[in-house]
Amino acid sequence: MNRFDNKQTTLLSRTELRTVKGQILYWCLFAILVIVAGVTLFPCIWMVLNAFKTPREIAAGNTFIPENFSLKSAIEQILYAWDMLEMERSIVNTLFLSLTKCAITVLCSGFAGYVLSKRRQKGMGVVFTLVVWTMMMPGSVRTVSTYLSYLSFPFIIDDGFDSVTNVNVLNTYIPFWVSAAAGSFTLILFKNAFDAIPNTLVDAARIDGCSNVRIFFQLMLPLAKPTVFYVMMGALSGPWSDYFTPYLLLSDKSKYTVPAWLFVIESKTGVTQNVYMMGLIFASIPPAILYLFFQRRMSGGIMIGAVKG
Amino acid sequence: MKKKGLGKLKSGLVAWLLLLPALIAIYLMVWRPQVMGIALSFFKLKGYSVQEFCGLDNYIRVLSSKNFPLALKNTLLYVFWSFTLGFLPPLLVAFFINEMVHFKNGFKTLIYLPALMPGITVMLLWKFMYSANSSGLLNMILAKFGMDPYGWLNHPNTVILMLVIEMTWCGFPGTMFLYYTTLQGIQMELYEAAMIDGAGPIGRFIHVSIPQMGGLLALNIVNQIIGVFQVMNEPLVMTGGGPNGASMSVSYLLYRYAFLEGKVGDSLALGTIIFLILMVATCFYFYLNKKVEENL
Repeated sequence: MNRFDNKQTTLLSRTELRTVKGQILYWCLFAILVIVAGVTLFPCIWMVLNAFKTPREIAAGNTFIPENFSLKSAIEQILYAWDMLEMERSIVNTLFLSLTKCAITVLCSGFAGYVLSKRRQKGMGVVFTLVVWTMMMPGSVRTVSTYLSYLSFPFIIDDGFDSVTNVNVLNTYIPFWVSAAAGSFTLILFKNAFDAIPNTLVDAARIDGCSNVRIFFQLMLPLAKPTVFYVMMGALSGPWSDYFTPYLLLSDKSKYTVPAWLFVIESKTGVTQNVYMMGLIFASIPPAILYLFFQRRMSGGIMIGAVKG
Repeated sequence: MKKKGLGKLKSGLVAWLLLLPALIAIYLMVWRPQVMGIALSFFKLKGYSVQEFCGLDNYIRVLSSKNFPLALKNTLLYVFWSFTLGFLPPLLVAFFINEMVHFKNGFKTLIYLPALMPGITVMLLWKFMYSANSSGLLNMILAKFGMDPYGWLNHPNTVILMLVIEMTWCGFPGTMFLYYTTLQGIQMELYEAAMIDGAGPIGRFIHVSIPQMGGLLALNIVNQIIGVFQVMNEPLVMTGGGPNGASMSVSYLLYRYAFLEGKVGDSLALGTIIFLILMVATCFYFYLNKKVEENL
């Protein structure tokens, strides 16, 4: 049991773990965690197994593991489900939307955070307070009024609800992009991350003749990497989980994203429950890949040794 | 001297220009619709077009309909259940994982899994699990014990509890992780000092861990209440507000009014009412946040 000797003192310490009572307690906690992990895993396993059953087998519901399972039949079922679900279009849409939203978020919120942190002008204190309040305002109650505002969205000038210059932006991606730029929480995240970068670095860059844009891309973003990656992951994975906005705003189904598409094809002919389960698995893969890619990059500081003396 | 002044003006202008896109977007997406929503809630609307000023008619209609008290009661039930189910499990699991010397990373990864799935996938998966016929996972388990299939989402008294179980299942890993990282930040010396003073595991839990994360806990509870108060997706996807309105939340009622029943004016009035309720909660959150930060 030498693993216990290296344990950090928390609620259970080394000395307590040497006693029988401590051992019993420790393994009880271990057993509880095994149960919790089982509860979180069980539905996922069931989802995967059901995807490989036949519709009749699912309806009968008396087998947990699919009968007649083989690698060949599994591949056949994956290909069959792919044909039935017709997700190609929605996958392309979601990819396009997540990439553009990510770029817009980093540029708009990032530049705003940079200005509020390092280029503060007179009057920007008020702006910052407004942004903080914006963040705290509940979003769900605005669903209907934002929908109304999309019906006549102001361009160039805003002179009221029924103006001639206003355009109906429903059934386009414009609301998605504008809302990506309106992230008050990401703006504050960026500002806080940039606040941690010493002003002396920025001043040095300015004396060397760097423009704001260059300071932002070559100094601020690299030095605030964990935050940048965190924001990027949020923006990239957003369209893969939000079914409601596309479902509400887009009337043209060829513009739907994957979650909205999944939500509406439940009643489509040929989409039996096993096919549908396969669709749920397909939809879970991209966010999982994003998480695996960004997970390690989101933590860890990088400020060491940037300013000497 | 003059050039310097001009340069300063120019750099100030550039700063404002860089800030502008975000500000315009926030205006268009948050402030403008918010103000418009409140203003139009006093107007009569036909479809989505504005007719004439009608004073408090919309509000009176919303408050006097039998849907509103029902939805409010249901929403409070959502909040109650999600608090009862959702408060302790993530906290305890975070503590337990922090104690582990075996399979620690394995537990972290496995338990975090539901948080990786898109929300819509989780809702649809649970809808199938709750299925009233023998194909649902829960009825499969019942059948193993020789019991008849049960309509998990068909009983008015338990439907909200069932939805909250789903919400907790996909929401608790994130909260657990937040608690876990805070626990990791507590210095070992504090525990050791408490141990020298004779505190056992429970004593250290009460005198070291809880004071160290008390602020975060309080904030998280208020945040969770504000979040659950706005619940809309679960009733929309899993039950459609049914059976017989038993799982209808205020946000879902808002959606119903505006997009299914064509009562846009009512829905704007309801939105304003919810907004006022939530702003009170939010102000309390701000107040608490300030208190917590002062104590750090």
